[in-house]
Amino acid sequence: MSILYDEGQQAIATESRRVLEARVSKDELLPLLEASGEYHTAFWETAKEQGWTALALPEAYGGLDLGLAELGLIAHQAGRTLSGAPFLTSSFGAAKAIERYGSDAQKTRWLPGLASGEIIGAVAFAEGANALPAAPKLTFTDDRIDGTATGVAGGLAADIAIVFANGPGMPVLAIAELAGVARTAIASFDNSRLFADLGFTGTPAEALVTGSAARDAALHILALQAVVTAHEQTGGAEALMEVARDYALTRRAFGQLIGGFQSVKHRIAELYGLVELARANCIHAAARAETPEFILAAAAARLSATEAYDTAARDCVQVHGGIGVTWEAGLHLHMRRARSLALEQGNSLFWEDILVDRLTGEAA
Amino acid sequence: MSNLDAYRSKAAAWLESVRPTFGKCARKGLSEADDLALGRRYQKAKFDAGYAGINWPTEYGGQGLTHLEKVTFEAEEMKHGFPNAYFGISLGMPVPILMQFGEDKDFVRERVLKALQGEEIWCQLFSEPAGGSDLAGLRTRAETDGNGWKLNGQKVWTSWAQYSDYGVIVARTDPNVPKHKGLTYFWVDMKAPGVTVRPIKLAGGDSHVNEVFFDDVKIGDDHRMSPVGGGFAVAMATLMIERYVATDSGGFGPHLDLFIDLAKATDFGGKPAIEDSRIRQQIARNYAMRSGLDAITARAMLMMQAGMTPGPEGSLNKLVSVRSRQKLSELAIDLQGSSGFAYDAHGFVKDNWTNSWINAPTGRIAGGADEMLLNTIAEKILGLPQDHRPDKGVPFNQIPA
Repeated sequence: MSILYDEGQQAIATESRRVLEARVSKDELLPLLEASGEYHTAFWETAKEQGWTALALPEAYGGLDLGLAELGLIAHQAGRTLSGAPFLTSSFGAAKAIERYGSDAQKTRWLPGLASGEIIGAVAFAEGANALPAAPKLTFTDDRIDGTATGVAGGLAADIAIVFANGPGMPVLAIAELAGVARTAIASFDNSRLFADLGFTGTPAEALVTGSAARDAALHILALQAVVTAHEQTGGAEALMEVARDYALTRRAFGQLIGGFQSVKHRIAELYGLVELARANCIHAAARAETPEFILAAAAARLSATEAYDTAARDCVQVHGGIGVTWEAGLHLHMRRARSLALEQGNSLFWEDILVDRLTGEAA
Repeated sequence: MSNLDAYRSKAAAWLESVRPTFGKCARKGLSEADDLALGRRYQKAKFDAGYAGINWPTEYGGQGLTHLEKVTFEAEEMKHGFPNAYFGISLGMPVPILMQFGEDKDFVRERVLKALQGEEIWCQLFSEPAGGSDLAGLRTRAETDGNGWKLNGQKVWTSWAQYSDYGVIVARTDPNVPKHKGLTYFWVDMKAPGVTVRPIKLAGGDSHVNEVFFDDVKIGDDHRMSPVGGGFAVAMATLMIERYVATDSGGFGPHLDLFIDLAKATDFGGKPAIEDSRIRQQIARNYAMRSGLDAITARAMLMMQAGMTPGPEGSLNKLVSVRSRQKLSELAIDLQGSSGFAYDAHGFVKDNWTNSWINAPTGRIAGGADEMLLNTIAEKILGLPQDHRPDKGVPFNQIPA
């Protein structure tokens, strides 16, 4: 898989950018911050209509048979305009778990709906600071799940969730239907992510992987999602760098454009560096999806993208001065998103450990 | 196996075969004069084996291959500590510029062949006491003298001038026009009467840079490599090569694996330091940064292979890598605690953290200071305004000193 985008891939980037810029505006996103359980339906309808939900899934189940690189390009654009719902990543993760580890019956049952976007998936591994807990509190007994999954992105709307649970003496990666679970909405700084705690009480579930392989499988799913999220973060960071640049070319102080002051222009030039490092790591990771070094590449992409987006959010607001902290200017949409994406798919501490474990030979 | 992989393994095998003769073990304890002599023999061996001037035209003794083979060879060569630093500037900028702009082809060919075989060394006489980052502010004068020119003035930070046979120089030929417009580019014989070279001892203890004084040094008009007043463009072409050749994501310091080895071997509170999460965090951060730079370089190489022009992000390499090498080197010294005081001024920057640390500031200044690189990104890539420049458009001799 090349790290140079071909013409088809470049067309995906151009077209998704055009569509999103036409259909997403901050005036529609701002009210969602103060509403619970609501997401930007126009975004999700667009994703379905454009086939983005089907992009990286197998053709046999209604997918388009493209890969992580192509989905990454969409995620990058979604990050630029601020995606209005978390499902592009969450449904992809759930679908990949079923595609990789499910039975034919499970694939037939779930993948076509996930590909069309009619079914929404979630991945619910995290317990607080542990993105992939060593001993999950969630239990899996006789094909039933008990316990609480916390802070699940898309949890308020998902139809199914992939969970990582403690089975009888061994970990289990399982798929659970969420029809009967208790969903507690989290009043969040980024409400359109639909974060929820999911309370499982004897919820029917089917195992996908049991035993020691379950953890590796869960990590692989998390890494796939992390690469998509890293693209989204890089897109957000790139948009903020451009907004900061454009403002520095407009705003005057002390008789000149503020972009002429080195304290301002160097700050923006540093953002350029962070964005390009993150982009290069993202492209590299997407191209390594089925190779032994994928987890390492995903971790590097995730770390550099989180750093780029958080830094861009801080510095872009700073370049704007007072106007940057107003509700109406909307830069806080990115500031909030930079933080929510930094937590989804595991925080930086988690990925640092994953990366160093592999570099030092502490992980198989 | 791709052609490039085949090239890499053949080059690696050759380098391994000459390692006992020229590698860092063979250099241990040598005086600088002996090391230079060894370096000349190494350069000759490279030439004979077809690894000198890899991407240069065959008519000038090069191999006629591409930038890809050159970078591939250098990545392998870097591992062994060969005595090649003496030729880094010479073959990096001045000699390629001579090939590009030299008028007398027979003379150029003779010089290039001698330089490629390590017989002659060229230096680059740009920076001055009054102008480093502000190169166009230089004061060295070239005045007409009969049919030729007469040089007077001083250059500084000139690498390897003490061993150089020739140099390329930018001098002011007209002080009555704005600073960029009064410069002309020449080559000069470093052994000519009136040239004085005085080494400068640097912070790390070595003296590879020099002050160079010119007192009524006479040169012919055939030494001129640019139109009169057109020297700044050739100087910029020289600097573009300099920034572009920096593709070592380790910032010319030790590989990250060496830091991991150190952390594994260091006892900290009864446990290997590699188990300390602060150390692990730095490893992770450095890895992510270096893998990003490597991916940028890999992409640029693929683009060149496809006949495309690589993106401007290649300019990040030196900026990002040298700063981070500086910090990682500090941490590596920290990690050694009371064992960290040792220092060998002749250690190698690619495998000794203390040498890497003490020489890192040079890397952040030479070939474009960090601040100049940030300016270039801000102005050329992002379209931000130039700094306020009070001397813009002002004739050089009316700029307040």
